[in-house]
Amino acid sequence: MLRVENVTHFFKNGSESTPVLHDINFTVKPGEMVALLGSSGSGKSTLLNLMAGLMKPMEGDIYIADHNIVKMSENKLSEFRRKHIGFIFQAYELITSLTVRENVELPLVFQSVSPSIRKQKSLSLLDKVGILDKADLFPSQLSGGQQQRVSIARSLITEPSVIFADEPTGNLDSKTEEEIIGILLQLNKTMNTTFIIVTHETDVAEQMQRIFALRDGYLVSEKGSLVGMEPKGGISIEN
Amino acid sequence: MRISDISRLAWDQVTRRKVVTGLCMAGISIGCAAIIVALSIGESAKSYSEKQLNQSFKMDEITVTANGGIPSQGGGGTPEVSDKLDPGKLTRQKLEIIQKLKHVNAAAPFQELGYSQMLTMDNRVGDVQVIGTDLHLLTKYDKTFLQGGASDLPRMAVLNYGATLGLIDDETKRKILEGFGNDPYNVQLREQFDSLSVLPSQMYQQQFQLQFKDYSNPASKIQQSAPLRVFGILNKASGADDLMESYNKIIYVSLETAQQLVEELNMTNGTVGQEGVYNSAIVKVDSTDNIVQVEKLIQKLTLTTSTNLYQLEQLADEFNMFKKVALGVGVFILIIASISIIVAMTMSTHQRRRQIGIMKVLGANMGQIRNMFITEAALLGMMGGMLGVLISYLIVFGINKLIGTAAGPVPGNGIIINIPIMTIPIGIAFAVMTGVFSGIYPAISASRTNALTAIKRD
Repeated sequence: MLRVENVTHFFKNGSESTPVLHDINFTVKPGEMVALLGSSGSGKSTLLNLMAGLMKPMEGDIYIADHNIVKMSENKLSEFRRKHIGFIFQAYELITSLTVRENVELPLVFQSVSPSIRKQKSLSLLDKVGILDKADLFPSQLSGGQQQRVSIARSLITEPSVIFADEPTGNLDSKTEEEIIGILLQLNKTMNTTFIIVTHETDVAEQMQRIFALRDGYLVSEKGSLVGMEPKGGISIEN
Repeated sequence: MRISDISRLAWDQVTRRKVVTGLCMAGISIGCAAIIVALSIGESAKSYSEKQLNQSFKMDEITVTANGGIPSQGGGGTPEVSDKLDPGKLTRQKLEIIQKLKHVNAAAPFQELGYSQMLTMDNRVGDVQVIGTDLHLLTKYDKTFLQGGASDLPRMAVLNYGATLGLIDDETKRKILEGFGNDPYNVQLREQFDSLSVLPSQMYQQQFQLQFKDYSNPASKIQQSAPLRVFGILNKASGADDLMESYNKIIYVSLETAQQLVEELNMTNGTVGQEGVYNSAIVKVDSTDNIVQVEKLIQKLTLTTSTNLYQLEQLADEFNMFKKVALGVGVFILIIASISIIVAMTMSTHQRRRQIGIMKVLGANMGQIRNMFITEAALLGMMGGMLGVLISYLIVFGINKLIGTAAGPVPGNGIIINIPIMTIPIGIAFAVMTGVFSGIYPAISASRTNALTAIKRD
């Protein structure tokens, strides 16, 4: 499903370059739910952006559904993202002028899907995430947890190969956090969707099937061996 | 992406961002209104002037006269040929051919006998022009009868309205002229003369005589015709008042009567008197658009033609210049308006960078983002254009009010500005084009927004 091969990345600031990721390798199978765990500055968000095709790595390749997204042009990448990738943001990122249902439908609008099909799919997903009764409200009328549910429904509407969630519970209280993670686990189970969840919270990561831990740009460990691990450059973790 | 979705998203932004929308619409509406008003004034002034010209000069008529002479055909190039010039006469046969031409409504001879004096039975006189024609065809030349009509009987005449005005007796006329000789600035005398000049006389079914003197021949005497009877009186020409009519006094008689008058009055006027040959004819054409085409065909009959089209051409040149200048002013305003759109939309693009970034992450490509912004700009243009139409109607209403006040209480006196229907789509098209062209730069700028940079939180 997702293959990250020898990915290295660094940020350039004039003549100075700051390394962010060092020779990252891993694979995620279809239907897996994976956590990308790391503290602030570990490089987890950069890795997420690279996997989502929002940035290109300095070195290495990234394959999603056997397509190397590193080699794609921007327009081709937009098209690919539209069909194969879903996003859940920490701050939900809903369009405030659109209703809940219209927000969920938005990715299908870019695919020229007919309004009737869009409506049918969006209502079904809103039902799945438990806010069908909020379909005609605007995001400002919803709580944070409800907005994140909308964001989840939106990420699922194109039936993508993989969904990237960037700190999906970062803005939520612990009770709502539990609810959202519960929804994600449920959707993974029922819809067999692949999830890659970026988090800095260990308790969130531990609910996932696998954990890829990052420290200072190095992939250091898998689930269960995080505590006390020292950085080991170039570790490749495979199941 | 569906057009309906692009339009809906664009409309959503237009209605949400009221200040930007208001600013852009204001600029465009003023430019659009300037174009519509300029075109409307140009068109209205042109049609008003054309109407005025048509009243003075018949634009849909061709005056045909005999050709001065052309070389005979097939002469073999011998020296004698140049002496033998065909007269290029205007004959009955040629008129019959002209009558059958496409777009010709009427072709009648108008034999000008010249000026003579009309003498009524009660000894009042007036100077008139005498024209021999087919009296039944007068109505084909925009003439209508106030009284009576055409007649086939001999010695029957039709008077135009002007010919019934200002008929005064010799004695009164002489006294007034003497009075002017003694005191040229006598206001009372002037007023008396003016009122007599437009004094109408009841001439229908009245008899009169014509008097003629050939002033080129000092030995000639005043000739007087046998009596004629007025069988019809024509209405005033459209738009003309009594004073204008009093300068245009015409008596129409049949061609046979004209021939008799030439003999009775001893007139030696060109072809008048020759059976089936005329000195002048007027051809009425169905539209001014066909004048040139018909004129060329008539010229092939070796006849000389003249029209008043040059008046129209001259007028068109003047108004084209006016329209160009006015259009230039409108376009200049639209250019200024387009700068305001570019600035407002670029600001709007900057404010919406995050939204654009989210859309890109959700799969919108550069083209889709660009189209959304251009549609938004086109909508702004269209709304500005519609507001411009409304403003232009208000401006035109105001101008008409001003003209009405300046022209005084007489209705129909002066120009009325109308907005031709065609100027509305032209104005709106200009406004939409301005919107689209102004939206191109912000749209491209928006489509190039880096999604990652846009969605990053500070």
